[in-house]
Amino acid sequence: MAAGEKPVVPSHPKASEERLDAIRNEAAATGKVVTGAGRVYANAQIPGAEDYYNLPVLKPPTWTWEVPLYFFVGGIAGVSSVIAFVGHLFHADPPMVRVALWIAFVGTGLCPALLISDLGRPLRFLNMLRVFKWRSAMSMGSWILAAFGGCAFLALATNELILYGIQNPFLPPLRWVGEFTGAVTGLLLASYTGVLIGATAIPVWYENRRLIPAHFLTSGLGGSSAILELFGFLLPATQILGFAAAGIETVVGVILESRLGRVDAPLHHGKSGWTMRIAGTLEGPIALLVRILWHGSAKGRYAAAACFLLGALCSRYAWIWAGRASAHDPQALFESQHAAMTASRAARRTP
Amino acid sequence: MPGLGTTYGRGGATTAPSDVVHSDAILIMGSNMAENHPVGFQWVIEAKEKHGAHVIHVDPRFSRTSAVANTWVSLRAGSDILFLGGLINYILQNNLDFREYVLHYTNASVIIPETFKDSEDLGGIFSGWDAQKKQYDNTSWLYQGVKADEGSSDHHDNAQSGGHSQHGIDSSTDLSTYEQDLTLQHPRCVYQIMKRHFARYTPEMVERYCGVSKEAFLNVAKIYTSASGPDKTGAICYALGWTQHSSGVQMIRCAAMIQLLLGNMGRPGGGILALRGHASIQGSTDIPTLFDSLPGYLSMPKFGYSSKDLASFIRANKPRTGFWNNFDKYIISMLKAFYGDSATPENDFGFNWLPRVTGDHSHQAYWLDMMDGKMDGLFVIGQNPAVAGPNSGMERRALGKLKWLVVREMVETETATFWRDSPEVQSGELKPAHIGTEVFLMPAAGHVEKDGTFTNTQRLLQWREKAIDSPGDARSENWFIYHLWERIIAKAKLDLRPRNQGLLALRMDYAIKGERREPEAEEILQEINGWTIADHKQLTTFAELKADGTTACGCWIYCGVYPERGRNRGNERDPKDEYGHGWGWAWPLDRRVIYNRASAKPDGTPWSERKKLVWWDEAAMKWTGKDVPDFTATKPPTYVPPPGAEGDAALAGDKPYILHADGMGWLWVPVGLNDGPLPTHYEPLESPIRNPMYSTQQVNPAGLNRARPGNEYAKSPDARFPYVLTTYRLTEHHTAGGMSRTLSHLAELQPELFCEISMELAAELKITHGEWVTLVTARGAIEAHALSTSRMKPLTIEGKTVHQVGVPFHWGYNGLVKGDIGNDLIAISEEPNVRIMETKGLLCNVLVGRRQENAAKLKEYHSIMEGKTA
Amino acid sequence: MTHKAAFLTDATICIGCKACEVACKEWNEVPEDGLVWSGFSYDNTQALGASTWRHVMFLEQPATAGPQQIDMENPFRWIFLSDVCKHCANSGCLEACPTGAIVRTNVGSVLVQSDVCNGCGYCVVSCPFGVVDKRHPDGRAFKCTFCYDRQSAEMIPACAKACPTQSIRFGELDELRKEADVRVAELQHRGYTDAQVYDPLQTSVGGTHAIFVILGQPDAYNLPPAPEVPTIYLKSAWTSALVSALVLAAIVCAAFLF
Repeated sequence: MAAGEKPVVPSHPKASEERLDAIRNEAAATGKVVTGAGRVYANAQIPGAEDYYNLPVLKPPTWTWEVPLYFFVGGIAGVSSVIAFVGHLFHADPPMVRVALWIAFVGTGLCPALLISDLGRPLRFLNMLRVFKWRSAMSMGSWILAAFGGCAFLALATNELILYGIQNPFLPPLRWVGEFTGAVTGLLLASYTGVLIGATAIPVWYENRRLIPAHFLTSGLGGSSAILELFGFLLPATQILGFAAAGIETVVGVILESRLGRVDAPLHHGKSGWTMRIAGTLEGPIALLVRILWHGSAKGRYAAAACFLLGALCSRYAWIWAGRASAHDPQALFESQHAAMTASRAARRTP
Repeated sequence: MPGLGTTYGRGGATTAPSDVVHSDAILIMGSNMAENHPVGFQWVIEAKEKHGAHVIHVDPRFSRTSAVANTWVSLRAGSDILFLGGLINYILQNNLDFREYVLHYTNASVIIPETFKDSEDLGGIFSGWDAQKKQYDNTSWLYQGVKADEGSSDHHDNAQSGGHSQHGIDSSTDLSTYEQDLTLQHPRCVYQIMKRHFARYTPEMVERYCGVSKEAFLNVAKIYTSASGPDKTGAICYALGWTQHSSGVQMIRCAAMIQLLLGNMGRPGGGILALRGHASIQGSTDIPTLFDSLPGYLSMPKFGYSSKDLASFIRANKPRTGFWNNFDKYIISMLKAFYGDSATPENDFGFNWLPRVTGDHSHQAYWLDMMDGKMDGLFVIGQNPAVAGPNSGMERRALGKLKWLVVREMVETETATFWRDSPEVQSGELKPAHIGTEVFLMPAAGHVEKDGTFTNTQRLLQWREKAIDSPGDARSENWFIYHLWERIIAKAKLDLRPRNQGLLALRMDYAIKGERREPEAEEILQEINGWTIADHKQLTTFAELKADGTTACGCWIYCGVYPERGRNRGNERDPKDEYGHGWGWAWPLDRRVIYNRASAKPDGTPWSERKKLVWWDEAAMKWTGKDVPDFTATKPPTYVPPPGAEGDAALAGDKPYILHADGMGWLWVPVGLNDGPLPTHYEPLESPIRNPMYSTQQVNPAGLNRARPGNEYAKSPDARFPYVLTTYRLTEHHTAGGMSRTLSHLAELQPELFCEISMELAAELKITHGEWVTLVTARGAIEAHALSTSRMKPLTIEGKTVHQVGVPFHWGYNGLVKGDIGNDLIAISEEPNVRIMETKGLLCNVLVGRRQENAAKLKEYHSIMEGKTA
Repeated sequence: MTHKAAFLTDATICIGCKACEVACKEWNEVPEDGLVWSGFSYDNTQALGASTWRHVMFLEQPATAGPQQIDMENPFRWIFLSDVCKHCANSGCLEACPTGAIVRTNVGSVLVQSDVCNGCGYCVVSCPFGVVDKRHPDGRAFKCTFCYDRQSAEMIPACAKACPTQSIRFGELDELRKEADVRVAELQHRGYTDAQVYDPLQTSVGGTHAIFVILGQPDAYNLPPAPEVPTIYLKSAWTSALVSALVLAAIVCAAFLF
């Protein structure tokens, strides 16, 4: 049994002899039965060989509330570094650059704290840096986060020192180094989390593995520019970034709605589905619409920014919950694998 | 036990589980072998997978054994004699018996006197029935030409016998003078009587009353009977599915007869595997904890003329012929072991210090006495009657009538805590303040915390070395009995009344070891094996025992396990051959397949190369082979006993059943059983139908149903209890759950009580799979989860649907996992030979919902039972 | 020691006794995993997990087991199978582990080193068979160790030792693979037309060190018909991540240029 899981001993309405007869005959004839209310009487086994008592094959993610929050914060922190670097490069408003660097730096503090809190043995967090494994997205992510931390700190510290008035010739180049490496590692930080969940055994995650990194990155983009807007930096750049992020998220939302396989059911049904839809609507069409309708007013931009941030945060939770729901659905797994087997057999047959 | 004892001479499994790899067919009936003997079952699997044996499982439920059998047939619980009788009839009608074997090795040809009347002639009872005493006089069952022994009238009093001694054989009568017809044509020869007796057990009968289709039955019959003859053998495995019935012994008798008819006894892959229930329960009847048996299945003396002195007792128990002729050697050697130097020829070797049986002292009987307030105290050692006793509710109430109770256990069992949390206390019916029983819970050591032997189902003694000290105050049984004895002796020394002489005469001088002062268990085993008194040299075989007081031997059948100082054969672990010689030691004399003389033809050559086991070596002038011969090694096959010969010398060289006075396998049992020389079908004490064989005799007349308030019975049939109930065990738990419900690794495998019902019954009663239901019988009611499954099959009996309901009995109110007690449903009853209760084939009803929800309905049942409502 | 240690578990000779579950728990001191009655035939264990390393399944199916003769109106069979960690050749949990706690041993098994594991939970979602899980309140991940300690002392795993019918056999992977094929051929010959070996050699898992002889489809046993080691998804996921990252960088540049 999965930890903390309680098995479902269902309570169902009473059956009738006719229904029971029908089930038995169908099972004998086809080896399969339509699942539903009648199933329970037959010791939950009459359905032919579809699965083992509808028990999950996979184990659901064990991560708690810290992890989706980390995705959210990490994405924002990572893209903030990019904004800081590019902004600095193209002579953007220095106070904005400074705030962006601070956002990144605060992220470097919050992110590890969240992750360490989620660990089963938090005191052993340093074991994350025992090895460096290309093939483990989490190993890569640990190193990325560590590197990002260093770079973001370098960028921030050098910038603050320069702003404070320290006239050291090494500071500016170091600042560029920090900002550049911070931007690169920041991009990785904001996108690797999509790879992290995409490269797992959970069907709804691996089936959407090409979409999720882009989706997470976009959330980071829109999120960091939204925070900058909320700090009062109502610049054209942040407006453009806001539009771009909400626009892309709208497209992502449409793509997700169009996925109709059983594997993608968690995206539309249940707790994860509804959260996903509401979140997607907030960070997509609503943020976009608000920004369009009130592009001139500050309050409009604040509202759009807030919508986006709320949607992005909820969306992270939705994805984790979707993973849990997906792990609990054995039929989704079997369907996806049988489809894959048929496809590969078909592929092999056509020369 | 007496089923096999009377048929063959010894009441135990005739072979080892590993021998079934030689079987061509294996019939498992009255047993769920894979479930309850999973380790022994490996050989059934090996037989099936590696040697092509055909495994047949006949059982009311489709269980874990059925899942891997080649053939499974369901049947109505309690209808086994109809089925087996059907097999016997099939063999006889189609002349499928192994004729040469039957002629020479069984009493098929023996002629029975005219005075015998069969149950077919008398509407369900045999001749000799005394309706007042409710017992049989077996004079008319004796062989023609044989006289009953008049000097032992009290010897046959059923009320005092538990059927275990001498494996049930009554040894007083001289059966060696009989008449035969070797053409088997004489109308009163056993063969012809059997043919007439079983004539009505047709396939149609089986279909109509067992619920087994003719095709299925004939399929089983064909397969099993084909495993017979010089080249083929079949084995039968049974367990409590047969023993726990009011006609249990006769069910076993049917199987025993089938094995004789098919010539399967004493041959590789043949035999009967009586699968005993516990790891050492064979040992607990060998060195018995039974009221009617002394070690080695010697009779316990009964109060009466035959036991007034040792000579009378020996006369009553020592037949002229066969191995029991040595009875005096066995009993005297045993008395020397008990009493050591205090036992002398002058005081009859202390014979009068042995207590006498004065009535039925079986579990059931004394528990009812307890219920009636006639008992002061009780020791309960390694048993949990509050859960495992029949009509356990009544047993728990009875415990409250004792003045004191000592429970020796590893865990705090329900028997120890009945006074504070039994269902009767929890419901408020009984109050702890009103229960006057003083309860002592003495902690017991576990099996790895003490030295000693286990004797398992194949009569194999295996020594266990203590691995670790028991914790705290927990101690072994040896320690407890020894130290209790020490304290009692201290008091007895100050009280010199004659009644204490026996106590003071007991020989208990074992070496006492260590701080805990533990008696040396190996010395006890040495004493059980025996020695010559003069030089204290260990004996090597029971043939060395003497009747003059020069030998001591605690248990003659174990003689040979410790043949010399320092050599404990029970502790040997070097198997040298396929029969396991060199690993442990089997009684008697390490013979693994008993009656193995029958694996050779009368002339001493093997029946076939494929099935050779033991044969006569003409050159060496002795029996030899793959097993230790269960025969006098130097007696040639052609040996003819001279007139007047006694004991083993009185048996010819072609008589394998050496414990019997006539040396033959008994298809017909002239003495030793209380309910007939042949099996005949009676219904269980509660049945959904009237007895199809006899309208005037519904149940076994010689049994005791002990009906009384609190132990009521349903009528047969009874509209209030329409379903057949059977109780059973699960692999995951151990009997009353003391050792399994307290251990999380086992408790989590089967955490809650459930009952198994067919899907059809679930649909009919609108029971959702998994929901709580209440099972109710005339004794009590319990609640359990309903497991509805295809594995329970409704049967068609007399054209009507009969449902069977099954429930395991492992749960109680203590431990990590708790549940209602299955045995609250069954009755206290006594099978006529061994006093075992009927736990299967009773009647019940099933109510939807928990006990609490059904309180009103249950009150109705209860008051009907008490006669308060019509 | 066995070079490439493996289990062959044969459903057709399993008697469902659960000695394997108990022996494993006793030897490895695995804690109790829930005292809950499931109603799923005799299976109250329900699945492998952090505190269940051998799991006996009970399938009541409306089909016949080869030539078995059952006196029932409709086809029926009761199948038992003892499930265990597959110790994959290409192992999802091993690849995923960021601390290096999960390693391949010298007998070819996959071992979680409990003194290194910090309970990050990534192995849990990376196992295509749903075997490894985190144990609460301990916090670390646990699964079958292949009785590595016993193997190091020239003993066979506890479950194989306890199995009375040799349904669980332990030995060299190549030999057991051959045995499995021979066994399935024999079963087919005897009339068990749906007997097959479960050993996903054709997938990215590349075969497992615990192979099974089963009757019927793997789905009925909750064995994935085409399990994949999730590292096969890395390429497409990283590609997407990097391309998106470049696009994002371009967008940011564009935003600041205008």
